[in-house]
Amino acid sequence: MIRARSLTKRFGRQRVLDDVALDVGAGERVALLGLNGAGKTTLMRCLLGLVSFEGDLSIAGCDVRSDGREARAHLGYVPQRVPHFDGTLAEVVEFFARLRASNRERVRERLVTLGLSLDEHGDKSIRELSGGMLQKVLLALALGEQVPLLLLDEPTANLDPRARGEFLRALRQIDRQTTVLLASHRLADVEALAERLVVLHDGRIVFDGTMPDLWERVGAAVTLWMRVPASQRDGARDHLHSRHGVPAVVANGAAIGLKVGHSAGADVLVELRRVGIPIEAFWTEHPSLHELLEGILAQGSGERAAGP
Amino acid sequence: MRERTMLFIQRELAGSLRARWFLVYSGVFLLSGLLLATFGAGNVAIHGYRGFAKAFAGLVHLALLFVPLMALFPATSAIAEERESGALEYLLAQPVTFGEVYAGKWIGVSVAVLLALTIGLGAAGAVAVIRGVPPGLVAMLYGFVVLLALAFVALGLFLSTLTQSRARATTIGIVLWLVLVAVGSLGIMVAFVRWGLPEQILVLWTFVNPVESFRIGVVSALDPDLSLLGPVGASVVGQFGARGTTAMAGLALAAWTALPGLAGWLAFRRIR
Repeated sequence: MIRARSLTKRFGRQRVLDDVALDVGAGERVALLGLNGAGKTTLMRCLLGLVSFEGDLSIAGCDVRSDGREARAHLGYVPQRVPHFDGTLAEVVEFFARLRASNRERVRERLVTLGLSLDEHGDKSIRELSGGMLQKVLLALALGEQVPLLLLDEPTANLDPRARGEFLRALRQIDRQTTVLLASHRLADVEALAERLVVLHDGRIVFDGTMPDLWERVGAAVTLWMRVPASQRDGARDHLHSRHGVPAVVANGAAIGLKVGHSAGADVLVELRRVGIPIEAFWTEHPSLHELLEGILAQGSGERAAGP
Repeated sequence: MRERTMLFIQRELAGSLRARWFLVYSGVFLLSGLLLATFGAGNVAIHGYRGFAKAFAGLVHLALLFVPLMALFPATSAIAEERESGALEYLLAQPVTFGEVYAGKWIGVSVAVLLALTIGLGAAGAVAVIRGVPPGLVAMLYGFVVLLALAFVALGLFLSTLTQSRARATTIGIVLWLVLVAVGSLGIMVAFVRWGLPEQILVLWTFVNPVESFRIGVVSALDPDLSLLGPVGASVVGQFGARGTTAMAGLALAAWTALPGLAGWLAFRRIR
């Protein structure tokens, strides 16, 4: 679906994308991860034909540079920053549906499945809608006639936690045939949506693989926090000490924390219950993207994990 | 191509009809034009054609002051405002070409401005014709007003492609208007008297400044009289004749439409 070779973008003397090679197959869900300035948005803008670039880039076999309109006909786009339009929601939907040659009824149905009814909100000025509602409108417009590729450029960056949760739920409903490329710096968003991670740093791909590959590569662990009855806290800690080693166990007020492998948290909870220690609450804490990147870079940026 | 460009034209038109500038400018132009046509054209019965021409100069000066502003305001906003709000990037991310977006905006803003002008000048022109002014003269004035408006739409659009914000584009547009309308004619005359510039500079200035082109073009067609043309106009008419001056002024305004419009297109393509 996406093929990039020797993709380079310079702003003045600075290389924002540096010799990027990337293949994304049909139906893949890929997350572009990276800190601010890593090149994620620039890569998106190259795919959209919004910036000039060096190298080769195609979408569904259409060259982005020479056949940009056809390439863009294959994709839907949800930007980080919600654009401001004039007019009512119904007018905006009508305009973009006609521009994209989408079936208006299909867009209307998409909006309903995303919890937005044109009958209810159609006459509202687009400026009256909340950021979360607007992102859903953009998602419905992007999906329109079931486009094969969906580009999401940090779509939850400006949403409050509730709107973000709703938007992520909406994204999970997208047809499995749709290829998704999601740019984000939120690990939680990425975990919820993508199977493959492409990590960019200083315009270069420093990791390309699955989430388990990433955990294995950087040796990072999540911290499993558990709250147990106060009377059993020492017992639980002793048990975890003996089973997992002293350095792994930490305490933070009423909670006990344990560094575990990425998918080993459930085993620990079952184990504690088995020895008669009830769990009142638990939650996990992921390493930050910055910590992960440090882990990747520490191993050398030239190394590449096996791709899917 | 045509269908998508039409969509952008319709969008610009709908946006203009919603905007306050359209109603305000149409209304002001309509009222002022009606007043001038009603009271000014009264001279026709007494003084004949020449008497009317002097009164009609009021309409010309009204157009000269208002039309550039009417055109600049929506044109300078057309691209800069959408760029500022992120809407332009989103539009260009759709299956459209840069050319379709630019052409749609250019034509859409031009049609909206001409619509507002037609409402204002149409009513004034109708009153003038009823009161005895030859329809051909009204049509000629309308033609020059259209050319002046199109020239300033193209200029505004060019400024809009060069700037990142609507406020900046509009400010530059207003300064340009002030320079061309107020300082332009006055300044060149002061320079002529103070430093004794060669006459060719004055002639050149007439066709380089779209506002002067409009004024000299209309007045030379209506009444090539020194009192209305002024010394610069008289000099130009003296060199090219009344018809030649009108034709050259029309061509200068057409060039003012084409050149900034094309320069704007080149700048718009460089957005990427």
